Amino acid sequence: MSKLCMGLFSGSLDKLTAAGVILSGAAADDMDVEVFVLLQGARAFIKGNENKIDNLAEASFLKDEFLSSLEKLKVSTWYEFFEMSKDMTNVKIYICSLAGKIWGGEKLEDFNDLVDDICGIGEYLTSAEEADIHMFI
Amino acid sequence: MTQEELQALTVNKSVDARGTACPGPLLEAKKAIGTINSGDIMEILSADEGTKRDIPKWANKKGHEYLGTVEESGYFKIYLKKG
Repeated sequence: MSKLCMGLFSGSLDKLTAAGVILSGAAADDMDVEVFVLLQGARAFIKGNENKIDNLAEASFLKDEFLSSLEKLKVSTWYEFFEMSKDMTNVKIYICSLAGKIWGGEKLEDFNDLVDDICGIGEYLTSAEEADIHMFI
Repeated sequence: MTQEELQALTVNKSVDARGTACPGPLLEAKKAIGTINSGDIMEILSADEGTKRDIPKWANKKGHEYLGTVEESGYFKIYLKKG
């Protein structure tokens, strides 16, 4: 079984949605997935923040158009994509401990149910080294 | 398989994913294929252009047989045989 390692630095709605679509593709393929959530990404995983993420990293001046298109196309929310992927395949989500602290998350219970554990940067690099695919978003 | 042969297939499972954009049809196909037996025929209905290439490639990788695609008006039907 192939392994995907994702470094998720971004915490904006557009990039989280892209990450979710990629994860669901990996789930369809039964891949093992490890997501390492870094700096800006960690804000989205703080408990209660999942529906508060509404900024775009790209083309933010077209936000209304982007959001209405997502709705019209019945695209799942980023959170739903992550949930679905976890239901379908072995997806582990780790928060970088520094990133968590920056947004007020110190312990596992400070984060939403998607999160499996808190980790250090060494584990991310080891995972990337061992993975068949490594991507940084 | 010819278009006529595809149209004449007895389908064990039909998945209507016309309401969703990529990756919806792929995820629907993945969920549905777990519910049928090896050798069964599954059809996926999709209106998403990306699915036409995506599902055959996924199927071949996962050991299922891609039988062909029938174009209808505004959507298409993709036929797979579970491996």
